[in-house]
Amino acid sequence: MPVGKRRSSLIRSPQFSSLVILIVLLAVFAIADANFLSPLNISNMMAFLPELGIIALGMTLLLTAGEFDLSVGAVFGLAPVVVMLLVQNGGVDIGVALLAGLLLCIAIGAINGLIVTKIGISSFLVTLSMLLVVRGAALYITQGFPLKSWDQPGFFVTLLAGSFNIGSFRFYTSLWWFVGLSLLAVYVLRYAKLGNWISAIGSNRNAAVARGVPADAVKIWLFILTSVLAGLAGMISAFRISAASPVAGTGYELEVIAMVVVGGTALTGGRGTILGTIVGALMLRAIRNGIVLIGVPGLAYNIFVGVIILAMLILHALLQKNAARS
Amino acid sequence: MVQEVLRLQNLQKSFGSVRALKSASFTLNEGEVVALLGDNGAGKSTLIKAISGVFPIDRGDIYVRGQKVSIRSTRDAMDLGIETIHQDTSLAPDLSIARNLFLGREPVNLKWLGVFAPLDLAKLRDAASALLKRVGISKKLDADALVSTLSGGERQSIAISRAMQFAAKVIILDEPTNNLGVEETHGVLRFVKEVRDAGHSVLLITHNIHHVFQVADRIIVMRRGEIVAEQTVADTDLLTVESIITGADMSALLKEARAK
Ligand SMILES: Nc1ncnc2c1ncn2[C@@H]1O[C@H](COP(=O)(O)OP(=O)(O)OP(=O)(O)O)[C@@H](O)[C@H]1O
Ligand SMILES: [Mg+2]
Repeated sequence: MPVGKRRSSLIRSPQFSSLVILIVLLAVFAIADANFLSPLNISNMMAFLPELGIIALGMTLLLTAGEFDLSVGAVFGLAPVVVMLLVQNGGVDIGVALLAGLLLCIAIGAINGLIVTKIGISSFLVTLSMLLVVRGAALYITQGFPLKSWDQPGFFVTLLAGSFNIGSFRFYTSLWWFVGLSLLAVYVLRYAKLGNWISAIGSNRNAAVARGVPADAVKIWLFILTSVLAGLAGMISAFRISAASPVAGTGYELEVIAMVVVGGTALTGGRGTILGTIVGALMLRAIRNGIVLIGVPGLAYNIFVGVIILAMLILHALLQKNAARS
Repeated sequence: MVQEVLRLQNLQKSFGSVRALKSASFTLNEGEVVALLGDNGAGKSTLIKAISGVFPIDRGDIYVRGQKVSIRSTRDAMDLGIETIHQDTSLAPDLSIARNLFLGREPVNLKWLGVFAPLDLAKLRDAASALLKRVGISKKLDADALVSTLSGGERQSIAISRAMQFAAKVIILDEPTNNLGVEETHGVLRFVKEVRDAGHSVLLITHNIHHVFQVADRIIVMRRGEIVAEQTVADTDLLTVESIITGADMSALLKEARAK
């Protein structure tokens, strides 16, 4: 492809338009409130970003394959609750407890995937039910109360939620997790054989199956991956605030899906972009943070967030139409 | 001597109470083009989907080069050298032409990484361009273009070039000239002859009897899940075949009446 053509297709791509809007938003917030770009505020945003961002990476791959997962917010809540309960009340070693949490996430993802692919129920219904089961389990085993605060620093806490300073910025190790996992996801989706399969499955499942692509197995593994990433994000969050609550992560599933589609990934499958998702994650984070700073009343946040998401989706739809015509 | 490539014996397939395939037996020889004819719903697509591993058969045997085989997946069929171009288009619209051409058989570097192996993008693009040039069914197509931007005929050409690429023993085409323009249709028919001359066998499903007489060696007619006639093209003519397909043929009618 000639360079000029490639450049123009990049400019018309959904992740690029999302990036432009992100930059505009950042500029608006920065002008409206000088504190927006202060080291403290940036550090704050960067602390929250990886937690939803990590889940969004898995969700992007899953959506690209044509499925989605509504149980991620509940898994985000349940995993740390189980791990910390095992340690605090069961006297289990933290390493073993984390392994148990990992296995739990794998099991949840596998059940989602198996029901969706082998029984053929839509992922919307399956994972909606799973959301209730998982959230219910978290509430039941904690009797609805947050656990007592976590007071055991150690290797795993540092690994997942340690922090370090660069100048006057304070970063958490979770940012490295996000960066590393993002790079991996970009590689898998764009450059690996598996990515080709994922896109093909979401684009035309029958065509992929006819070429010998193991569509069901790929989907099941993606459900597992998404669940595990949700659990990982839950652990990171719980270690960072030194507490686990059975209601943590409520509503995250929608926030994560919003990040993914705002970035330009198609809800209908076949077209996914990790770079777009990173932009989407940054955007939603910046919006939530920015509207607080510029003094939007607390109860009005979601009006703004919703309107901006809608505007983004309309923009993508228009671009898509244009691209198809040209 | 004629070499048998594919032999089906008593293939049966039901979807719930619909007996789409009651009993089908036939043989496909090396270097032969067999046309599979029949009205809508006769069971043609069901038959070839069974051969290409889209779904398992209920009963019956499949032999490839005299060897009994079990085809449980599309991968099994491909590994046996059976390439199929399905009627309900077999491409992923959101992928580029090049990626579609090699879907399921991607050229990769670092093969030991399994599904995580990086695609050999340069090879992918070059091979795709070369292939598009060779087929020549359609004008200039960019290997990086998304399939969703192509016309129906162009998509068909891509699917056909893909079957060609993997030089299968048996190439099955389910209504390949559907939606094609004049030039593209001739391209497909030329391709069928080419692969036959190269020693491959072709099973061609079509509703266009004229095409059958242009390229086929033998004709098989299906009706309501059964094979009702089998003739060499040299021994028959257009009108006879047409009447067998619709069932208006007297001898076929008699046979049916006797069966009841
Ligand atoms: N997946 C399926 N489930 C249920 N019934 C099916 C299925 N596939 C095919 N059938 C039925 O089996 C019969 C044979 O269908 P098939 O697609 O093989 O016909 P065909 O000969 O290819 O027809 P056409 O020329 O219209 O493509 C039809 O009655 C069809 O409705
Ligand atoms: Mg058919």
